[in-house]
Amino acid sequence: MAGNSAVREDDSLLSRLDRKLLKLETILALISGLAVFSLMIFAVVSVTGRNAINQPLPGYVDWIEQVLPVIAFMGVAYTQRHGGHIRMDIVIGLLKGRALWLAEIITVLAMLILMIFLVWGSWAHFDRSFDFAAPLWSRDSSIDIGIPLWPAKLLAPVAFSVLCLRLVLQLWGYTRAFITNDPAPVAVPLIQSAAEQAQEEALHVSDLNTGKGQ
Amino acid sequence: MEPITIGLIVSAVMLLMVILGMRVAFAAGLAGFLGLIWIFWAKKNYGIDDFGWALTVAAKTAGQVPHSKVTTQALSLIPTFILIGYLAYYAGLTQALFEAAKRWIAWVPGGLAVSTIFATAGFAAVSGASVATAAVFARIAIPEMLKIGYDKKFAAGVVAAGGTLASLIPPSAILVIYAIIVEQDVGKLLLAGFLPGVFSAIVYGALIIGMAMMIKGFGPPVKGFTWKERFESLPPALPILVVVATIILFVYNPFGGDAWGTPTEGGAIGAFVVFCMALWRGMRWPQLKDALLETAKLSVMIFTIIWGVLIYVRFLGFADLPGAFSDWITGLEQSPMLTLVFILLAYAVLGMFMDAIGMLLLTLPVVYPAVMALNGGEFVSAADSTFGMSGPMCAIWFGILVVKMAEFCLITPPIGLNCFVVAGVRDDLSVQDVFKGVTPFFIADAVTIALLVAFPMIVLWLPMQAVG
Amino acid sequence: TEWNVSVWGKRRAFTEHVERLAELVSEKTNGEFTMNISYGGLSKNRENLDGISIGAFEMAQFCAGYHRDKNPTITVLELPFLGVNTLAEEVAVSHAVYGHPAVQADLARWNARLLMTSPMPQYNIVGTGEARDELGEFDGMRVRATGGIGKAFEAVGGVPTSVTATEAYNAMESGVVDTVAFAQHAHLAFRTIDIADWWTENLNPGTVNCPVVVNTDAYDALSDSEREALDSSVDEAITHYLENYGELLARWDGILEEKGVERVTLSEGELAQFRATAADPIREQWITDMSAQGIPAQELYDLVQSTLAAQRN
Ligand code: NA
Ligand code: NA
Repeated sequence: MAGNSAVREDDSLLSRLDRKLLKLETILALISGLAVFSLMIFAVVSVTGRNAINQPLPGYVDWIEQVLPVIAFMGVAYTQRHGGHIRMDIVIGLLKGRALWLAEIITVLAMLILMIFLVWGSWAHFDRSFDFAAPLWSRDSSIDIGIPLWPAKLLAPVAFSVLCLRLVLQLWGYTRAFITNDPAPVAVPLIQSAAEQAQEEALHVSDLNTGKGQ
Repeated sequence: MEPITIGLIVSAVMLLMVILGMRVAFAAGLAGFLGLIWIFWAKKNYGIDDFGWALTVAAKTAGQVPHSKVTTQALSLIPTFILIGYLAYYAGLTQALFEAAKRWIAWVPGGLAVSTIFATAGFAAVSGASVATAAVFARIAIPEMLKIGYDKKFAAGVVAAGGTLASLIPPSAILVIYAIIVEQDVGKLLLAGFLPGVFSAIVYGALIIGMAMMIKGFGPPVKGFTWKERFESLPPALPILVVVATIILFVYNPFGGDAWGTPTEGGAIGAFVVFCMALWRGMRWPQLKDALLETAKLSVMIFTIIWGVLIYVRFLGFADLPGAFSDWITGLEQSPMLTLVFILLAYAVLGMFMDAIGMLLLTLPVVYPAVMALNGGEFVSAADSTFGMSGPMCAIWFGILVVKMAEFCLITPPIGLNCFVVAGVRDDLSVQDVFKGVTPFFIADAVTIALLVAFPMIVLWLPMQAVG
Repeated sequence: TEWNVSVWGKRRAFTEHVERLAELVSEKTNGEFTMNISYGGLSKNRENLDGISIGAFEMAQFCAGYHRDKNPTITVLELPFLGVNTLAEEVAVSHAVYGHPAVQADLARWNARLLMTSPMPQYNIVGTGEARDELGEFDGMRVRATGGIGKAFEAVGGVPTSVTATEAYNAMESGVVDTVAFAQHAHLAFRTIDIADWWTENLNPGTVNCPVVVNTDAYDALSDSEREALDSSVDEAITHYLENYGELLARWDGILEEKGVERVTLSEGELAQFRATAADPIREQWITDMSAQGIPAQELYDLVQSTLAAQRN
């Protein structure tokens, strides 16, 4: 039920905005991927340091805890753009036409409402750890080597704001589809049967396989 | 209204939203947020002027959760385990494993199918996800089985079932998620998955050998490999052993003495080993970029569902629903073992309709404390407990049972994801065909689960060694 | 009135005063004022102050060293080698510091009002292998210690390594750290004593300060009789805590013997050298840094010392 969905494109304003936002989302997602890569590097430095010269990477755990929000949040809109956040589509998969678009409108609207409140709440969380008057602007720091926490906390409201933009675009797309009764609208992930999704996933795996150069 | 009633109503609303197709992470988050508003407002007796306060407190409480909960060191295992799996493709490990398994094991009755099972078990040692394993082996193993006359449906079933091993044999993303939700030691859980994973593979293998001996026209054994050919097949598969050894040595040093580090370091170092291997096999920036983007997408999906569900869990904490549920479970007048069996059966039913990670995340916050209470509490000693194992050991045992249960659901209709994946790879197979082919493996899994329930030592022996 | 109280871990000596306070308050108000103590269900321990500030729950426990920047003033109590010898002294100096206007202003930013402390004995270390009873042997030692204590070990060549209390056992077992600094109850609760070969009985490098605070608005909203019940129960709750902890300390020798843990005594000369290397520079640095932020650091430190002197007379 995970996986990607196809997103159609044309040269309408909506689709152009969709692709513009996608560029931003892709950059953010790549940052998230590079952050995963950095976990590997941190571990290699820490383990070699500890075992070879008895000098572990100072604050190894603190650094991991700064990297995790980068991985967790930066790609959140990118994943939504591709329909990659899992859901149960047994019921929604049975719907067609306007009924389907209405159901999508309702769930996307519910998500948007949640995310607006979470932008507020996570901003407040950041704000409590941030103080222009304090050294390094920090009102909260990591337990071991005292890294200021506000940059990592700021990632949540920033990434969630991008997700809100994405949700607004999707809401627009679904609403337009509802009004025009378009069977294949642009800028929204189109629902696929589980079998189609699996096929796409399998294709992706085979791409990876052929890419290995054997 | 009592907080517990609020808890039940909000939980029902959440399930409804999930069934209606809202993305699970956000359905859980929204339910938790609405529940928090309700709890805080109820505290002020629903005064009109107090709604704004309740809304503010709820938004700020929910807004803490994403950052607060993803900054858990053990969670770094999830992206590193996923990255290992993607890099393993570029390192050429899958084909090498299948070739080695074929040359060494395929001489037994039903040999090629047995080889496939053990090759998937081997790949499980670098892959953290079942679906990916099934997809890879559907391409490599099914054509070879068809070539020598296996039934098409059965060949597909072998691959779908073999894929499930990836979630028990470490590394396993789903075991890490379990460990984090229930706040148990990740390293011990990963160790605990090893024997049941191997055990499952052996049960699958025995089933295939049995079928091959009873059924006429079953795929023939593959003989005639020389010892030279056998040994030649080993070096390309060797990196798997290096990764396994790395992860194990970082969790528990079987030679005595200190382990080399923590599980989180072990996962990252394991990824580094595969990364070097893939570089050596010709992976360059475009492929690496692809692997990183895919890793990011899958990690984000999992992290989002984690923080979304944890907003709901934070609300449950205020509603004290887990406490109430475990009081109810422990108050039942039937044997605790029967209760446990019912809980596992409930997972089987739920798993028919839900994805494994979503299912565990949504249910464990309520079910896990109840199971622990059933055993006599989180800190009970083995002697005083219901199931004859200490609190931490019970947590591990139950974890392996539910994960095995969730994996079982990957091959059951109507939503057996592994079967969809295999059917998706093979144009000549329908989903129904694969479900038919995988049916014998239900029986094998039912036997395995029954044995794991009856003989907990299969699960607990290895982690107990690590306790020292 | 019903209050939610956020603590963490499991019920242990460290939370006994909170449990007792809840009993007392309920008794005194005939069940009108109750406290619902949650072990980790309402917040992460490092975010209890955030929860208080939001108003999500009314009472919470936290440790100053978890987030120095959130509560800079209280970290005076976590300076190494303050010279506090008993739990009663720890209570006296803590409550004196909590009463200082600068400290109250610091916590007022979180809408928090300091109610009482959770006194803990000195964070002596346990280790495996050869006992380390000379300062030279601390060189290169990987030690699990936070805050000022970590800094103290660093000053003599140790390598403070950050693992949470719950991970300490695994870290020690796997050799990620060589030693762990904890109070006695935590060596028991987190089982580091089970794998230890030795324990320093007189290193006494310092301790961690963990106050219990209440949300100011919730406190002000209490009826007079409820507030009276709360305020009047603090001393009794602390007394109960001290008795309970005292029993644990009395059992400590037996526990060491039972687990086969050697008591390590450092000579007075070694200790004096440790203090000279660690205590003075760290304190000076602390006073400089805090004064730069406009905190009356010297005054707070002097308050600790004068309270200690008064307590001993
Ligand atoms: Na695996
Ligand atoms: Na299923």
